[in-house]
Amino acid sequence: MSAAKRVQQWATFARSWHIFDCKWQDPYESAHVIKKYLMGMHKPIYHPMNDCGDVVVCINSREIALRGDEWRKRAYFHHTGYPGGASWTLAWELHNKDPTMIIKKAVYRAMTGNLQRRHTMQRLFIYPGENVPEDVLQNVTNQIRQIRYVPKRLDHIPEEEVKNYPKVMEYPEDFVVK
Amino acid sequence: MAGLVRLGYSLAKKSILSTTTRVISTTNQLNIKEIRERTEGTNLVIEGVTLPSPRTELLVRPPNVTPPLPNIDLSLTKLPSSEKPPCYMCALGLDVKHTDVLILSQFVRSDGCMLPKRITGLCKRQQKKIGKMVSMAQKAGLMINLTPSNSKKDPTKRKDYKKFNTYFDETTIFKKREMRWTERFKFRANAK
Ligand SMILES: [Zn+2]
Repeated sequence: MSAAKRVQQWATFARSWHIFDCKWQDPYESAHVIKKYLMGMHKPIYHPMNDCGDVVVCINSREIALRGDEWRKRAYFHHTGYPGGASWTLAWELHNKDPTMIIKKAVYRAMTGNLQRRHTMQRLFIYPGENVPEDVLQNVTNQIRQIRYVPKRLDHIPEEEVKNYPKVMEYPEDFVVK
Repeated sequence: MAGLVRLGYSLAKKSILSTTTRVISTTNQLNIKEIRERTEGTNLVIEGVTLPSPRTELLVRPPNVTPPLPNIDLSLTKLPSSEKPPCYMCALGLDVKHTDVLILSQFVRSDGCMLPKRITGLCKRQQKKIGKMVSMAQKAGLMINLTPSNSKKDPTKRKDYKKFNTYFDETTIFKKREMRWTERFKFRANAK
């Protein structure tokens, strides 16, 4: 067996750990990527009855990005079971209370609803910031590629680059600068 | 008597209008300028300082486009829209996103509001598109140094849902509003 094949075999049969940076990522888009690693669907030996899923560590979950007006339009439903116990929490209110909850619910909903889902969710670690416990971080061997490009703020771009960027718009000749 | 009054009124009107509309100059009397205010002792001095346009040497302008100012060449504006050369943004054919703040910041004032069409010289569609993308970039907090002085400079210190990161989809700019299911029901009832 060649060295590359041996590594491939090791990566398939071991439970490897992946890290995912949620900064400026849509949780509902990235849930479909995280789900594949959690369930082991990226492995050639995948089968629903086969316990081959990996562990995923999500960091910076406080800095997820939602599209358009979804922060104030998306509602999370909960019912206590008592009459009149229904409640709707908006996405921004939920994120204020627990910055890990939106990504957790998104991954949970991306998977099919069977009993295995609860055990698969146990392999998902979510941290609101960059502070990850050392014993978790030392297992990580792979980074999952981000889906969205992380935008750069204009005041964070170096001044030299702003000055030398090509100009598209030219002011008319009688323009009064404001 | 009434005729005299009317005559006097029209004379006065003509004399006022003639002073405001008659502009005779052989050279370019207007230039890009900045209005500066300063106090000298007890006096307030307001002066218009003529400035060169910043970074003119980096200007990218494709050939054969409509000039930014329509009053320069009146023959082009009378052409039908199919024969008119495209505006400079259409001619460049750039795929501008709302995260391209280096391009969008050229179309705004120092307080971050979009410049009007007569200054940008864009066509109607591009003006709308760029204007929407400027407001997207502002809502996402990407042009925080180009905002009014009373605004919060840190996007994370905003109120309620505004303090969290938001991204936008540019395909929604020219999308028509989807019918709600109640409206669809109405439409069906009318068709029958
Ligand atoms: Zn155009």
